[in-house]
Amino acid sequence: MSEAATLPEFKPSDYKTDLKPVWCAGCGDFGVLTGLYRALTELQVKPWETVVVSGIGCSSRLPGYVDTFGVNSLHGRALPLAAGVKVARPDLTVIAVGGDGDGLAIGGNHFLHAARRNLDVSYILMDNEIYGLTKGQAAPTTPAGDKTKSTHYGNPEPAVDPCELAISVGATWVGRAFSGDLKGTVELMVKALRHKGFAFLNVMSPCVTWRGDDQFKSLKAKQRQLPENHDASSRAAALVYTRESEIVTTGVLFDVSEPTLLDRLATVKVNALAGKPQSTVADIIKSFQPSF
Amino acid sequence: MVGAGGDGIVTMADVLSQAAARDGLNVLKTEAYGPQIRGGESSSVVRLSGDPIYESGDGADVLVVFSWADFSRFKGECTPARNAVVLSDEADPVARTPEDLGLSADAVWIKLPFGKLSTDSGAKGSKNLVGLGVLTALFGLPEGTLRRAIVSRFGRKKAAVGEMALKAFEAGLLLGQTLPPMPERRLAFTPGPAKLIMSGNEATAIGALHAGCRYFAGYPITPSTEILMFLDEWLPKMGGSLVQTEDELSAIGAVLGASFAGEKAMTATSGPGLSLMTEMLGLASMAELPCVVVNVQRGGPSTGLPTKSEQSDLFQAVFAGHGDMPRVVLACSDVEDSFHTTVDAFNIAEEYQIPVIVLSDQLVAGRRETFDPASLVHEVRERRLPSAEELTDYHRYKETPDGVSPMARPGVKGGIYQTNGLEHDEEGSPGSGFLLHEEMNAKRYRKLRPIRDAHTFHRRYGPEDAEIGILCWGSSKGAVREAVRHANERGQKVAAFVPQMIYPFPKKELEAFLKGVKQILVVELSYSAQFYKYLRTFLDLPAERTHVYKRSGGKNLTVAEVDAEIVALLAGERVQERVSA
Repeated sequence: MSEAATLPEFKPSDYKTDLKPVWCAGCGDFGVLTGLYRALTELQVKPWETVVVSGIGCSSRLPGYVDTFGVNSLHGRALPLAAGVKVARPDLTVIAVGGDGDGLAIGGNHFLHAARRNLDVSYILMDNEIYGLTKGQAAPTTPAGDKTKSTHYGNPEPAVDPCELAISVGATWVGRAFSGDLKGTVELMVKALRHKGFAFLNVMSPCVTWRGDDQFKSLKAKQRQLPENHDASSRAAALVYTRESEIVTTGVLFDVSEPTLLDRLATVKVNALAGKPQSTVADIIKSFQPSF
Repeated sequence: MVGAGGDGIVTMADVLSQAAARDGLNVLKTEAYGPQIRGGESSSVVRLSGDPIYESGDGADVLVVFSWADFSRFKGECTPARNAVVLSDEADPVARTPEDLGLSADAVWIKLPFGKLSTDSGAKGSKNLVGLGVLTALFGLPEGTLRRAIVSRFGRKKAAVGEMALKAFEAGLLLGQTLPPMPERRLAFTPGPAKLIMSGNEATAIGALHAGCRYFAGYPITPSTEILMFLDEWLPKMGGSLVQTEDELSAIGAVLGASFAGEKAMTATSGPGLSLMTEMLGLASMAELPCVVVNVQRGGPSTGLPTKSEQSDLFQAVFAGHGDMPRVVLACSDVEDSFHTTVDAFNIAEEYQIPVIVLSDQLVAGRRETFDPASLVHEVRERRLPSAEELTDYHRYKETPDGVSPMARPGVKGGIYQTNGLEHDEEGSPGSGFLLHEEMNAKRYRKLRPIRDAHTFHRRYGPEDAEIGILCWGSSKGAVREAVRHANERGQKVAAFVPQMIYPFPKKELEAFLKGVKQILVVELSYSAQFYKYLRTFLDLPAERTHVYKRSGGKNLTVAEVDAEIVALLAGERVQERVSA
């Protein structure tokens, strides 16, 4: 048999588990899930060499629907778990997923440091500007003034733009997608997964239940593609497309190549060994026996 | 030995300990510092003996003080024996009397020109080495070995520095030889093969490496940071990885991620850090992810006493967490034990896919002890992986008689599963039915039985027919063991039981120990008597014959304290202190 004939061919359905998503009908996360199946198919990654890690929230249920290795961990802690998997096993493809509350409120500290370290993980954030699972409270991405179940008289806090944050704290690839635009979402996911280093993809993913039907319509109306001549290697140029109010620009905002955490850890090992063979426990023990 | 920052107390104690270990003596060295980040007062107690030693000893036989002002900052922590030999600097302006040091008439106090001699010898600022010279002459310490220890310590980079240091030592030696000899106080020993000398934290880290740990994530916190620093140096040399995380939540999260990925992983922390890790330990228990968390106890609650020892994280280790959350808690009671306990922790975590907490404490973790290199042998066990046949229809959480299901490594075709902190079925799919929850709780708790049957870690000291049975754990073992030896030498029937497995507890072994015991004495450094209360959760300790000796940490347990309790108990004079709820 020729090599080509033995190559496994994965179809989108090969990445699908039998579990039926718990999401509400019309949830934007369906678009993200379908997009991920297609992106994985395009990249032909082996399901058993892939790990999808999440925190807690509606969108964090996603790993259960992807037939790869998966961890649905604790609220806010997707990135620490993902870091542990990737550093221990650089051979695996590691994808972290979750919602805006999970990633930017309770998990905000980890987001900052994963980006700063340029952790070799793709992080897909499903941003619906609300806490869905707990039934409609304000999130860090909820616009100021919006009325929610925890801001009855209008949200007193300004929102964060996740992309602006990611660009500012060291992510080396930052993109924005809209889950209603499946083709665009798949393209961006493929690029994020191909990126070497911390790739952050913020997917605007409407919550029909707690943000109303018009969130989808309004996002669709606001969506603009990045201009063709956008310079993604420029932090300043990328930041132009953050903190937008009347438009939602999708595309690769920022894309640079820098040493990743794994690169740097590999350097640490080279420096530690200094050309000598690996140490053994016996070597270490011996160093505690005075020999002068 | 006590002095100001810059007096070289730590170096003096180090050189002495290294030389003694080189000659096969038993050494136990503790250090204490002031709260200053750098400089400030420091003290060190070094106990040397040809015979086995288990703790620091109560009063120092020899007290070297470079500065009385600094000495007074260690009130109650560094005291001379009543008949001690006290060596102090004649230039010290602070006046002290034998009375306020509690010295008796047979004590000897010599004031010496440590500072002046150091300057005169040409090695300015080396009064510590002058002091070592005096000690060597007066007490018959191994002179040649000390010389080599000094050269090894100071002459490694520049031979001239080593020679200079030796001059200070020789000056002290000459001075010592002019002093009236004290033949009855000289150290009696026969040199033997070199022993290992290390701290409890180092022994813990080496235990982890021996067990196969190749991933460590941690956040610095006193008094556990030495483990992080040690592994930062050695893990990369062994092909492993270490990440200093942004907080303890991330540290334990990364450990669980690495464990999921198939690596043996560990973190180390102290009380406040363990509090932060508690939620994640629940995930480890629920998702059945092997992990080892070393908790080096310090005084609490809150920031408490970061540099002092206490045994007050027992409840947190055994009980903390929401839901019914099986875990294993082990305790190390001395330095050598820290190695073995850590290997056991990995063996249990990996074999039973359960979080294991190792309780160390500042006293064990920070002190340095000698032991025989040959003792560092310990079997290493691995997690159960699915067989080829099991992979044809793989269920991650398959029901098994012992509750342990084979755990697939990512990368293995057929081993795919999604794990989570939600209650789940055999496949790992979430479910919230009552029956499923009951069954899976039972599966997870069932693992404790074989753990308990296979491991009955405890130590027992004293005669089989003891009338007084002492119960203690962790670092209290040292003082208790020595007190038991004293009591037995006096012909008193006293024994001690020290569990090393705290949860699940070696209950049968304890019940056997208590059979025939007339009086029970629980000894611990926890103000609220956590150990006593914990024992009562599964054991009926009759109030009329159970006594509790407990106090706050901050000062190490002394043999004298335990001795006094034993004497009072035997005389029927011990008044039971009420333990509040």
